[in-house]
Amino acid sequence: MLNPISIPAVENAEPALDLMQVPFLGSLFRWRYARPLLQAPLLVLSVVMILHGLFGPTLAPKNLATTLSWLHFRGLLVLVLLCAGNFFCLACPFMLVRQAARRFFKPRLAWPTWLRNKWMSVALFVLILFAYELFDLWSSPWWTAWLIVGYFASVLVVDGFFKHASFCKFVCPIGQFNFVASMLSPFEVKVREQSVCATCETKDCIRGRREPGSDLVVIRGCELALFQPRKIGNMDCTFCLDCVHACPHDNVGILSRVPGSELLTNPLRSGIGYFSRRKDLAALIIVFTFGALLNAFGMVSPVYAVENWLGRALHVSHEAPVLGLIFVFFLMVEPLLLLVIATWLSRAWGGVRQAPLPLAVRYTYALVPLGFGIWFAHYGFHFLTGIYTIIPVTQSAVASLGRPWLGEPLWSLTGVPAKMVQVVEVGFLLLGFAGSLIVTHALAEEDSPDRTMRVFLPWAAVCTLLWLGSMWLIFQPMEMRATMMSG
Amino acid sequence: MGSPGFSVKQEITPQPARVGRSTLTFTITDAAGEPVDGAHLAVEADMSHAGMKPDFADVTETQPGRYEAEVALPMAGDWVILLHGKLGTGAAVEKQFDVRGVRPE
Repeated sequence: MLNPISIPAVENAEPALDLMQVPFLGSLFRWRYARPLLQAPLLVLSVVMILHGLFGPTLAPKNLATTLSWLHFRGLLVLVLLCAGNFFCLACPFMLVRQAARRFFKPRLAWPTWLRNKWMSVALFVLILFAYELFDLWSSPWWTAWLIVGYFASVLVVDGFFKHASFCKFVCPIGQFNFVASMLSPFEVKVREQSVCATCETKDCIRGRREPGSDLVVIRGCELALFQPRKIGNMDCTFCLDCVHACPHDNVGILSRVPGSELLTNPLRSGIGYFSRRKDLAALIIVFTFGALLNAFGMVSPVYAVENWLGRALHVSHEAPVLGLIFVFFLMVEPLLLLVIATWLSRAWGGVRQAPLPLAVRYTYALVPLGFGIWFAHYGFHFLTGIYTIIPVTQSAVASLGRPWLGEPLWSLTGVPAKMVQVVEVGFLLLGFAGSLIVTHALAEEDSPDRTMRVFLPWAAVCTLLWLGSMWLIFQPMEMRATMMSG
Repeated sequence: MGSPGFSVKQEITPQPARVGRSTLTFTITDAAGEPVDGAHLAVEADMSHAGMKPDFADVTETQPGRYEAEVALPMAGDWVILLHGKLGTGAAVEKQFDVRGVRPE
């Protein structure tokens, strides 16, 4: 039994919608096997994608691996993050395999202290963005299949050796994307009544529920070290519902909230610390935001002109070094330049007394809405313009088994016309831009009540530049090419 | 592009390929370099990435051994042309041609 600990007596300010109270959904989420039930279909789908990617048609538009990965998965992922929360991590098929493997191999090691941060996952995030462009993953069912296989293997290796959810918290690039984006989600896993937690003596939500009179954990506590009463926001939360099941007081719900509200405050967060002190998290957000622009830049015509110009200037014909330079510019030079100037102006003109680095880190979080808006516009474009293509691709895959049960492939099915989707794109870019301005203004107001505008304007200028860049990108002719440097 | 018994040469106009309607020309010759006529062929144009509708077209023989088809390439980027059908002799034709870097209008 643990001693009662001090828990802030902050009740949820407003009555919130609790998904755990919604008929059917609540019963489903309360059921101990809800997660495996949601994971199983995605695992089956992953296996189908791997098999079709390796042995099916080599053309991306005819293969389930490429169609599902690069159109439907990404589109649905951002849609669910925007409308609900990090439910993909809840249904993550990699974790189902991990759980099965852990029945045979119990991890013994603790994740190394020096790696308990986001630096490795930031590097992997960049690596995936780089590989996506260099190997044209979008056009290769074979590479896409191996990416999924690699993911399964990585989960098994990392979580085979290391305890808890080390892969999710410190390695998984998709998870980090979800953690950042879910800061804008309208739902959060959190306690309903802080007063209940204040009197709780077992803290099962973090320790796990044990068999009476034994140390055997029968229901896991949070594997990502998020102690529910002190958990604030969605960062690092996989929505795995372990805390929901472990809480003996049924005091953990999936509660509605104002999207992005966690970006406005800087309290001590369980399992995270202070946002303003997390340089690694700020780096993740920089890659998330500037990487969104870079990823979108990779699919429009001007990128080929830039690549060819760089190739000629450097006298290189291989794509890797040229692409590397573009990545260095977009993910290091550009953010560094913009953040340094905004930080300097905030201090010199706005009179903010914070040291430069913590100040830059603090305002970096304000970029999340804009970054998510860019990802949403990009992934939403592919998803909506190609939404129905999954039908003929599935028909074709089934027919290739010699049994055309689903009929002849209806190749004329595609999706929403691009011109209509462009309106949606503009809407989400505007929404993201507005969100970033709101967060920036709130931070500026807190830092400098007297000279709010002087602190706000430099950071608003950064947001405006990025927004203008994203608007310019979506009006460029789209051009998906595997042969960047061919002229 | 060669196959046992015959080879197929493909051209696209306009050159360089641009977004819009394009004409594909296939020249089929036998091992001796003589034109192969009487083939029944069809083409399919696919983008290199998922999410785009393929375009299908029939192929017509404009002169002995020379075949033409018109396809729509609605987006800039890399396209793949699939030619399939049968020669007059009954031999199957299954060819794939890359049309890289189709330019915007």
